[in-house]
Amino acid sequence: MQSTRRGFLAGMMAAGAVPATSWAEAGNPAYLAAARDSDGAYHLAGLAGDGAGRFSIPLPGRGHAATAHPKHPEAIAFARRPGTFALVIDCLAGREIARLDAPEGRHFYGHGVFSQDGNLLFTPENDYDNGVGVIGVWDRRAHWDRVGAFSSGGTGPHEISRLPGQDVLVVANGGIETHPETGRAKLNIPDMRPNLSYITANGHLLEQVEPPVADHMNSLRHLAVNADGLVACALQWQGDRFDAPALLAIHRQGRALQFAMASDTQHLQMQAYGGSVSFSGDGSHIAVTSPRGGVVQIFDREGAFLTQHSLEDVCGAAPATGTGFIVTTGTGEVAEIDASGKYQKLSQHTRQWDNHLIAI
Amino acid sequence: MRRILKPAVFALMGLLPAGAQADMKTIIENTVQDQILPGYQALHNHAQSLALATASHCAASDPDLRDAWGGMMDAWTRVSHLRFGPSEVDGRAFAIAFWPDPRSKTAKALNQILTDLDPSVGTPEEFAEVSVAARGLYALEFLLYDPAYADQATPEYRCALIRAIANGLVETSAVILGDWEAEYADQMLNPTETGAWRSEEEVFRELFKALSTGLQFTAETRIGRPLGTFDRPRPRRAELRRSDRSRHQVIVALEELSELAALLSADHPEIAARFAAEFEAALGHAANPDDPVFASVDEISGRLKVEILQQSVERLREILVMELGPAMGVGIGFNALDGD
Repeated sequence: MQSTRRGFLAGMMAAGAVPATSWAEAGNPAYLAAARDSDGAYHLAGLAGDGAGRFSIPLPGRGHAATAHPKHPEAIAFARRPGTFALVIDCLAGREIARLDAPEGRHFYGHGVFSQDGNLLFTPENDYDNGVGVIGVWDRRAHWDRVGAFSSGGTGPHEISRLPGQDVLVVANGGIETHPETGRAKLNIPDMRPNLSYITANGHLLEQVEPPVADHMNSLRHLAVNADGLVACALQWQGDRFDAPALLAIHRQGRALQFAMASDTQHLQMQAYGGSVSFSGDGSHIAVTSPRGGVVQIFDREGAFLTQHSLEDVCGAAPATGTGFIVTTGTGEVAEIDASGKYQKLSQHTRQWDNHLIAI
Repeated sequence: MRRILKPAVFALMGLLPAGAQADMKTIIENTVQDQILPGYQALHNHAQSLALATASHCAASDPDLRDAWGGMMDAWTRVSHLRFGPSEVDGRAFAIAFWPDPRSKTAKALNQILTDLDPSVGTPEEFAEVSVAARGLYALEFLLYDPAYADQATPEYRCALIRAIANGLVETSAVILGDWEAEYADQMLNPTETGAWRSEEEVFRELFKALSTGLQFTAETRIGRPLGTFDRPRPRRAELRRSDRSRHQVIVALEELSELAALLSADHPEIAARFAAEFEAALGHAANPDDPVFASVDEISGRLKVEILQQSVERLREILVMELGPAMGVGIGFNALDGD
């Protein structure tokens, strides 16, 4: 079973002690992941680098991804689209300390990112009556007040990240319009236009790149950024699943999107669906997962396909040390893999890991 | 029952009715012995018959050759849902059957070979490097049935190409069968911590997924591709329309999948009965000799009948996912089913 917070910490909280403020005191979890337990309850879990559980905090509904505060042991757990809650969780105390509710007419997309100093949180949102994407801004120092919002540069902003060492946001605008009244139905597939946008913390659009017009149904959905500012995107093809173009796009600011794929037969195994994307710990390799195909494909940073691993219901991926990756599956497995063919199962949990694994 | 369920697996599966597990091993044994091994043996036998037929008569319109090809096509359809293990190594399944092919790679690759009089047809090792799109059963359909290929290159060259494809199919089906017999059947029957499957539950889940895959492919692809949308029916996307076998292949697939469904639901007679009734209904809807290639999808009454067939196959998958899955404590992957 997952370990929860240690007893003495609970005692400290009960006594009203001020919680300590570093990740070390939360047991140094290396990763965050949302999960569904065997009893159907939803949690946000902290995992150590070896795959062991560090903490587990209940969520009111199905989670999607999370984001970790750069310094303090706080995590934001986001509801799965079209959810409207985001919980600020004190990972040391194991409790919710604030709740962000999406404003009227908006819902979250399940992702978010902090500013470099950790004072602001940016959340991709759907302004669904207007069919446009928004980035909401929340101020940690002001009781998590919502202090602003600006255009995401497109429709359906999904994953958001930040360039290293600066407050430039990178947003994958998936291009797909949805409305809560029609659930998760996609309303604009014939004329969707996904893009990757670079936006300042004030909402100024710095740069935007799109897939070729012929591949406008290739939804840029998830992304990862390495220490050099190289961006990798996992795509989800909305057309014929036997006709999918590349599902990995690599981008460096100022250049065009570069697309990468394996050979025909291996590419078909991805089933037109990239679930998560991650750089390796040293930034040299890129992994794209496909839960539908039960495979993880590994490329080098230039986009050359190197190898693939078969792993049932794999979706979450995050950097491990060196050239490796940690991946999580809906069957409860946490494993380490790399491009040399290494596969090492780290742990087996009695819970199903949801879509994403987030490095702290 | 001698096998002890691992507590972790038990907890993950959630609801396992007492007694339902007792025959999982028997179900696996029956499926391996009665379906998988005979299925790949038949595939290989038909490949050899096809190669023999091409050796003596390789005129494209030769009825014996076409029969031999059709026999192997049916044998492939009967294993086409078993997308795990040896068929997935080195793209073997695609080398036998490259379809659907929305970018017309088969036609392009064949045209290239025939235009160039590509000499690789003379050497099996070199032909094995040719695009998978030009090496399988679907490429042979073009050569045997599509008039556009009937007079390309020379009769001798076309014959050499047909033989090269047939010999490649013998080779590919042989290695798949060999791997099953040498290793994978045993791994399925005796799962171990270090094997391809680690427990009987994992093996069962693989077979469960295979049935799901077969039903989904039949509904969405074999039937769904020609259906297209109401505004844009796509009859020319029907599988094997050149040889008039689109509907036939649906029937062959349903017959085979009904046997797998019966095996997997052996512990649950009430679910097995629902499967049997719904398969009978689906096969009833599939039988329409007047419309062998789903050409009717672009007129209203014909389209309605094909939609009814498709819905019937979708109901079969519902029985699998909604009834047999919970009863046996397995499901489709959490992330695979419902991503974002």
